[in-house]
Amino acid sequence: MPAAPLLELRRLVKNYGGVRALRGVDFELRAGEVHALLGENGAGKSTLIKTVTGAHEPTAGTIAIAGQPVTGLTPKRAHELGIACIYQQPALFPDLTVAENIALRLEPATASRRVDWRSRRERAAQLLARIGAAISPDSEVRSLSMPEQQLVEIACALGAGARIVIMDEPTASLTQKEQHLLFAVVRDLRKSGVGVIYISHRLEEIFDLADRVTVLRDGESVGTRQVRSSRGDEAGGPGLLTARPEPAEGSAATLTEAELIRLMVGREVAQIYPPSESAPGEVVLALRNVGCAASGVRDVTLDVRAGEVVGLAGLVGAGRTELARVLFGLTPADAGEISLRGAPVTLHSPQDAVAHGIAYVPEDRRRHGVVLDLPIAHNMTMAVHRRLFPDRWLRFGAEQALALDFIRDLAVKCAGPDAPGGSLSGGNQQKVSLARWLATKPKLLILDEPTQGVDVGAKSEIHRIVRRLAKDGLAVLLISSDLPEVIGMSDRIGVMRGGRLQAMLPGKSDPHDVMSAALGQGT
Amino acid sequence: MSSSQPRNWKALLLSHEMLLLYVLIAEWLFFYFAGTTVNRRGVTVGFGTVDRQFDILRHSCEIGLLALALTPVIITAGIDLSVGSLLGLCAILFGKFWKDAGLPIPVAAFLALGCGALGGGLNAALITSLRLPPLIITLGTYSLFRGLAEAITRGAVTYTDFPAGFLFVGQERWLGLPTQAWLFFGVAAAVWLLVHRTTFGRSFRTIGFAPEGARYAGLPVERRVAMVYILAGLIAALAAIIYTARLGQAKADAGTGYELFAITAVVLGGTSIFGGTGSVHGTLLGVAAIAVLKNGLACLPAVMRLNAAEDMSGLLTGALLLLALTGSVLPKLLSSWRAHRPAPAPSAPSPNPQPSP
Repeated sequence: MPAAPLLELRRLVKNYGGVRALRGVDFELRAGEVHALLGENGAGKSTLIKTVTGAHEPTAGTIAIAGQPVTGLTPKRAHELGIACIYQQPALFPDLTVAENIALRLEPATASRRVDWRSRRERAAQLLARIGAAISPDSEVRSLSMPEQQLVEIACALGAGARIVIMDEPTASLTQKEQHLLFAVVRDLRKSGVGVIYISHRLEEIFDLADRVTVLRDGESVGTRQVRSSRGDEAGGPGLLTARPEPAEGSAATLTEAELIRLMVGREVAQIYPPSESAPGEVVLALRNVGCAASGVRDVTLDVRAGEVVGLAGLVGAGRTELARVLFGLTPADAGEISLRGAPVTLHSPQDAVAHGIAYVPEDRRRHGVVLDLPIAHNMTMAVHRRLFPDRWLRFGAEQALALDFIRDLAVKCAGPDAPGGSLSGGNQQKVSLARWLATKPKLLILDEPTQGVDVGAKSEIHRIVRRLAKDGLAVLLISSDLPEVIGMSDRIGVMRGGRLQAMLPGKSDPHDVMSAALGQGT
Repeated sequence: MSSSQPRNWKALLLSHEMLLLYVLIAEWLFFYFAGTTVNRRGVTVGFGTVDRQFDILRHSCEIGLLALALTPVIITAGIDLSVGSLLGLCAILFGKFWKDAGLPIPVAAFLALGCGALGGGLNAALITSLRLPPLIITLGTYSLFRGLAEAITRGAVTYTDFPAGFLFVGQERWLGLPTQAWLFFGVAAAVWLLVHRTTFGRSFRTIGFAPEGARYAGLPVERRVAMVYILAGLIAALAAIIYTARLGQAKADAGTGYELFAITAVVLGGTSIFGGTGSVHGTLLGVAAIAVLKNGLACLPAVMRLNAAEDMSGLLTGALLLLALTGSVLPKLLSSWRAHRPAPAPSAPSPNPQPSP
């Protein structure tokens, strides 16, 4: 193709404060191509999308659209340049009709105040017909199904003359049939010369639909591969490259799932993690077919022993945090049996869970883990009011002593016990959250993404602390989306998918196996 | 805040409560010099008399009690608009228990206190079970309680002729101070200890700052929220009894509009309407600042000639409140302005020609 690519990203870098979300991404989208973007949670896919749609400005690197470098991209300007993004949850106004929603996107705000209803309706009908959608322009968006709403979004994109269409996990909530309909529309878009950036966790979709795939890992693009010999076969022909999970010795042109997974997880694993030194003792937590309809946890059977770190791996939305919330009594279980040290328990509230020696260091540190406006000391004693202040009177001396102990023990960098939680860095906030729960002297410690958004130094400190706790006989359930971490830290690894425990793997497993189970392939 | 460590002196002297204390002293001195006169018979009258000071105290007790009741509520990021109406309802019930049911005064008072707690319990139950904003719930009970009081009396009955022993509580002095002031200070001390020295108060603050965070810390959020509303109802009932004793009559419109004065005093005292921050001593200063302003204005000769004390006090209370709010927000605004200014304005005069797709 002699023409410049529709979109070209060169060495794109994006920092959020001290966190490097993108550390050098190269990406190219040609006209008439479906280019898949693949990567683990936190690999940088959403950040990449946000820079391309103008929501965030990149820290460094260049964005070129149709060969022209673009700087200072804003959402409005991205829209003018023909970039459209279709999110998982369509952003339409539910109380307006389809035609009104389309008009809102396409008519300039400065248009005359008179509404030409007929032309509005006609244009909507035209656009919908172009993508073969059987939707009436007069129906209220509220009454449409999720895929129909996505089609309306695509119609808007087409109407705006979009040349670059980004689809962020469009099939996450679609049925098989709806998915086929959507794919047909995507293939039509491709035929008309639109470039589609397609984000999905489902490998089979990528093999079915994409021409090329770029894999992101830790904010870097680690490789772009040809999925199909682009001009050769007809759209939809599944023959050439049906997925085979074996890491086959296939030709260089043939891309396999195994190779994709290898690209996603990388090779350098299990090097810096402190070794497991503890021998697992008695079973502390025993789950038998535990489920919670409200939060989508289904049929989980799992044991965690004293002195053992059990990892929970899986993709976002696999049900790991939901399981933790069940165990902490935030969304009580409605099926199965939970036992602690051999005795069945009911966990209807966090107070129940705390009384039974369960501690939960939550994922959302700033909203749930630490009260930012309160001093460190108050945060650390929050879960031990009963023990520290048995007659309800505050004892400031005891509180300060406890806080100073933990500040020293966990090496919290702070101005002192009276500094507000919000004044600390992410890693130190995490230590405060951890200290609050260690103060309860728990039997079972659930850690939910304990190192997310934490700098490298604090991260390995937290790893060492977790190991030490396990050695002292604590049972640890470690939820982490960081694959090397969950593999490096865990004695056993549970992989969740769709609210179920998909597989139970031994520690130091091959990351490939973990990712395969998380994606629902084989095993 | 109930921090144990002595903070540095500058921060202490510039704290909201201290600033309010300076305002209060300035107010008081101004009225002392401008509002005190000597009449034709050579007797000192106006603001600068001991009688007048006791009068201010006597008249502040009911609103002061409601402000004390509201302080923990607002610290949990809640609000209770119904306390004034509940005061009216409890006054009527107290009168009815004594006069119509023939119960002795102490028993009637005890029952009235129970009814106050029940009224607060109704608020608490609705707020924790319906999960609607307290503003809406207590707006409902605000009308409900007043409506009940009107219905019981049919808008006509007023209970009077209370025995002298009871009126002593509202109209006499005991150990040098108006009798009800002892009750007021007793409740103030108890609420201060509750908010600043117990784990309950700690929980109120946590809930006010981060209700979800409190839940994730294993704190019994519903029970604590229920507690502050029940306590508010109980204190409103005590205010009702004192009100009845001061005026010698229980009527259905008792305490009308008091809730707004009480909220004003709490917010003026530095308790954030968004929850978390606040102090009981701040509330006391807020009550005093409003009471002195209101009474002092009535003593100014110019205001007396115009008969404008009511209007002026409303106007100045509002101005004082807005000033206090501005003052509390100002440091934040300034720092955010400073944070935004040094940005080297990377405005987007995109120099690139638009590629037409």
